[in-house]
Amino acid sequence: MDLWQLLLTLALAGSSDAFSGRENSSKKPKFTKCRSPELETFSCHWTDAVHHGLKNPGPIQLFYTRRNAQEGTQEWKECPDYVSAGENSCYFNSSFTSIWIPYCIKLTSNGGTVDEKCFSVNQIVQPDPPIALNWTLLNISLTGVHADIQVRWEAPPNADIQKGWMVLEYELQYKEVNETQWKMMDPILSTSVPLYSLRVDKEYEVRVRSKQRKSENYGEFSEVLYVKLPQMSQFTCEEDFYFPWLLIIIFGISGLTVMLFVFLFSKQQRIKMLILPPVPVPKIKGIDPDLLKEGKLEEVNTILAIHDSCKPEFHSDDSWVEFIELDIEDPDEKTEGSDTDRLLSSDHEKSHSNLGVKDGDSGRTSCYEPDMLETDFNASDIHDGTSQVVQPQRLKGEADLLCLDQKNQNNSPYHDACPAIHQPSVIQAEKNKPQPLLTDGAESTHQAAHIQLSNPSSLANIDFYAQVSDITPAGSVVLSPGQKNKAGVSQCDMHPEVSLCQANFIMDNAYFCEADAKKCIPVAPHIKVESHTEPSFNQEDIYITTESLTTTSGRPGTAEHVPGSEMPVPDYTSIHIVQSPQGLILNATALPLPDKEFLSSCGYVSTDQLNKIMP
Amino acid sequence: SLLLLLVSNLLLWQSVTPLPVCPGGAVRCQVTLRDLFDRAVVLSHYIHNLSSEMFSEFDKRYTQGRGFISKALNSCHTSSLATPEDKEQAQQISQKDFLSLIVSILRSWNEPLYHLVTEVRGMQEAPEAILSKAIEIEEQSKRLLEGMELILSQVHPETRENAVYSVWSGLPSLQMADEESRLFAYYNLLHCLRRDSHKIDNYLKLLKCRIVHDNNC
Repeated sequence: MDLWQLLLTLALAGSSDAFSGRENSSKKPKFTKCRSPELETFSCHWTDAVHHGLKNPGPIQLFYTRRNAQEGTQEWKECPDYVSAGENSCYFNSSFTSIWIPYCIKLTSNGGTVDEKCFSVNQIVQPDPPIALNWTLLNISLTGVHADIQVRWEAPPNADIQKGWMVLEYELQYKEVNETQWKMMDPILSTSVPLYSLRVDKEYEVRVRSKQRKSENYGEFSEVLYVKLPQMSQFTCEEDFYFPWLLIIIFGISGLTVMLFVFLFSKQQRIKMLILPPVPVPKIKGIDPDLLKEGKLEEVNTILAIHDSCKPEFHSDDSWVEFIELDIEDPDEKTEGSDTDRLLSSDHEKSHSNLGVKDGDSGRTSCYEPDMLETDFNASDIHDGTSQVVQPQRLKGEADLLCLDQKNQNNSPYHDACPAIHQPSVIQAEKNKPQPLLTDGAESTHQAAHIQLSNPSSLANIDFYAQVSDITPAGSVVLSPGQKNKAGVSQCDMHPEVSLCQANFIMDNAYFCEADAKKCIPVAPHIKVESHTEPSFNQEDIYITTESLTTTSGRPGTAEHVPGSEMPVPDYTSIHIVQSPQGLILNATALPLPDKEFLSSCGYVSTDQLNKIMP
Repeated sequence: SLLLLLVSNLLLWQSVTPLPVCPGGAVRCQVTLRDLFDRAVVLSHYIHNLSSEMFSEFDKRYTQGRGFISKALNSCHTSSLATPEDKEQAQQISQKDFLSLIVSILRSWNEPLYHLVTEVRGMQEAPEAILSKAIEIEEQSKRLLEGMELILSQVHPETRENAVYSVWSGLPSLQMADEESRLFAYYNLLHCLRRDSHKIDNYLKLLKCRIVHDNNC
């Protein structure tokens, strides 16, 4: 029951309010708008009080004051004109209007202020609508479907445009007769504007309104102007072109589907090749990687010869050839095949060695330059003799040299013989490239006689090739130190191991004969790399670096340290003379002359032997 | 604020036609009076727009609903200058006096604008929009003043340097400790600025039609 009582009370209260609303008008008069149409007069309007009650509250009055400090106290004056602006309005003519002075007005009823407002006249400007709208035809399109017109109007007469008291801005709106949404144009300052591309068969409505440039309020809209364009032809062509999106989509999809089916169901490789060509594997033109893997040097050489206009005269029973085909009995290496394979195959362990020859599928072949090969073919006999087999590896080695050189621009200092990666040697080698290495003129040459010593991948592997690193001022060739041991142990480490070899075997000689090498292989302890840091000839230094050579030659004192017959001798020496395809005489300036053991059993001079020979 | 400054500068440059510069002290100037007036009107219009925006932003942010408008007496410092308050008065004033009057009003605003910028900049959480507009108004007012002085020297070369201007002494009120009073001081200053910029704009348009177009704009 309580709930019902509550509801009843509410209903009664609501009804009583409604009653009171009807009977007793609590609605107060309020200012609706104050407006100045031309910045010379203004008027204010208010809502009329709704009097439903019996008693009449009395006339509503408007009082105003001009808040001007100069006038002293502010007196409230009554509205001068209640009539001119209509009902419930007050009109201030120009004598009562001051533009930049604040006004305050108040509405009173029965002596009580009902509403109050303050403003400046310049803030309430709302111009009258433009008058005398008209239009003229500009042109009609060739098809007779569209037309352009020019709409003109005049400024409201009470706005003093001529004297510049007001500057008006206009906005035009237009639409088709049966449309509901007006199209708006941007505000313009002139009193005429063209309308383009109106359809001849439609009727249009145009209206304009104005506002003062500085204020925000637009005035009222002008009267609507009706535009009916003259029709030239009876027919109305459909000029509009609707892009046939649907057709395009349908045809596109069907076409793609057809192509897809053709492709999928086509067993022909040719079509597949056309549509999806295989990505070419990088390789040397004309050389089949498989060919190289098989190790058929003759074919490889012929192919290379085709490239480089070199006559294949290298099919000789050169000891070099045999040399290359040395099969080192190392369990690790055996799986790799012959030296040739190792040299030519993509052996990762040789990554850091210049002579690490890699296969065509590695990125190194990009460094391969056929031009390089040609220079190498300027060699002499020895060059020819050696180069046949040397070439493939060397070429690739050169490639690697170049690659490495490009990669390793900043070369490490030359102090370390062994750990030093032969970048300087690479550079030097490159410089000397064009010159033939071996000539009969006993002119020391450079590169061609890269008696490349491939760095053994492990201690068991022996490098047989040395690389020319530099030319001494005397004109002799300086061979670079060997590559790092694949196992990470510098080849210098080979010294101790080599020293364990037999006596008549030159310990540190990089050039091993086949048999000798085999003996030395198993006994290969590791040696630390620290000792390699000494610039002078060291026990651990297998390879003579350029610097070490020069220092050695410059310091006779240290020359004694040049390894003699017992000391380990660097594997690389500078080549002094090339006498025959089968022999080299190494430079005597840096190395001591050996004794009698000039010729080794193998038929070529080993470093140590030369060391004994040379002073 | 820098961006706003740049944008507003760009807008100004778009609307302002480049004016060939007269060499200082040249008696015969290449620039026509028409160009000078056109440029002056553009500047005054721009300044008034900025002032209006600045005032509404300030009002919206700080003083909305406080009823300051009713308290705003006509107490602008430039009220002491005898400016025409409606069209008839404006038509009765002579050309020369009119131009001098405009120059006086502009001169009177030099110092208040400078202090306005300084004070707003020093405010806690200085409102960037208001500050940038104040800076821009100060800048453009100086240029307008130069332009007006140039016009005056062209139209009435015999006029001596007009030193009449109103002194502004409202700086202490801008720095008052009481927030209400301080805000009212700012409100009043910005309100006066808006009003005076509108005045100058109107006067210039009147003068332009009178002098350049012979009352037939």
